[in-house]
Amino acid sequence: MSAAGPPGQPAAAPSGCAAPAGGVALTAAAAGEAVIEGQVCWDGAPVTTGYARLLDDGGEFVAEVPLGGDGGFRFFAAPGSWTVRVLAPGGRRLDETVSAGYGQVTRVELAI
Amino acid sequence: MSRTDVLVDADWVAAHLDDPGLVLVEVDEDTTAYDKGHIRTAVKLDWRKDLQDPVRRDFIDRHGFEQLLSRHGISNDDLVILYGGNNNWFAAYAYWYFRLYGHQRVRLLDGGRKKWELDSRELVTAVPERPPTSYRAPEQDTSLRAMRDEVIAAIGKQNLVDVRSPDEFTGKLLAPAHLPQEQAQRPGHIPTARNVPWSKAANDDGTFKPDAELRALYLDEAGLDFSKPTIAYCRIGERSAHSWFVLHELLGQPNVKNYDGSWTEYGSLVGVPIELGGPR
Repeated sequence: MSAAGPPGQPAAAPSGCAAPAGGVALTAAAAGEAVIEGQVCWDGAPVTTGYARLLDDGGEFVAEVPLGGDGGFRFFAAPGSWTVRVLAPGGRRLDETVSAGYGQVTRVELAI
Repeated sequence: MSRTDVLVDADWVAAHLDDPGLVLVEVDEDTTAYDKGHIRTAVKLDWRKDLQDPVRRDFIDRHGFEQLLSRHGISNDDLVILYGGNNNWFAAYAYWYFRLYGHQRVRLLDGGRKKWELDSRELVTAVPERPPTSYRAPEQDTSLRAMRDEVIAAIGKQNLVDVRSPDEFTGKLLAPAHLPQEQAQRPGHIPTARNVPWSKAANDDGTFKPDAELRALYLDEAGLDFSKPTIAYCRIGERSAHSWFVLHELLGQPNVKNYDGSWTEYGSLVGVPIELGGPR
């Protein structure tokens, strides 16, 4: 998923459990993934302080990322139904149900 | 040990930011988060560059830990307040790590960076300067850390707590869903492990649930036997450090270890038993 560093050096981007704000960038290696991505806006402008979390079809927490500078988020899921939950300052919160499949990028635009 | 001995809230931190002898330390999953804004007076630890041996898959040794804390101006007597993103996963990991190397005065900021941000509290980009110290640490306290052979020996005998999401436990996913799923190791879980996702111990804002709910979670819902030792694991040991914090620090269970090798090690071992699917 991440760019490897020079031999003997740490990877340029972390290959373990470490994702930047908004989520890990898509690469060619991610082509077979079940991607769920989107953007969170408020009053037409991106929400840059907040979190997107992914819940499974039983409502269990699966992952969470801070929103990126463009209000964006990205998850690598599996085929099935998922819920994207947005948490933002001021107690603002929104749930959106989405479907994902391998080799697909499911995009969702969320207005809170 | 009471909750206030190991946990502070955001109001407390805001009121004590400039106290002498107090050091705020941010440890994030996204190691660039600190650079974009952090709590004033906080220094940064990079869980990968600072806390991992650069060659072997292991932690830095005692001398390396001494040098690290000395470089960051942290003294043996300082009260260290740890916080970070992603519901304090890596802050809890650092907390466990500090305890591993014998630092006693350490607490977590309840809710971590997320709660601080959702409360719209101040973040700054200026990096504080702290004069170097001469930190001294003992050897690792191995009563807090489980290694792979001990984990295999614990199957069916001790409490094994898999704190990953149910989809990782059953083998549907190999990693948290904010990361690609291409890892080569086998999916599944250690036989006899109970699946108690770390997230069940936290509220949406990242703060820990009350002790009574936490106790009910592990005893009544998961059926753990608190008369036995417990080993917690996840994928790389940071989420299980969060659950170790709950079991050992909040609930006061005396014999709880974190298996930091976790699924990236166990799921790559040759010849060990693995189960797929839901709990049996």
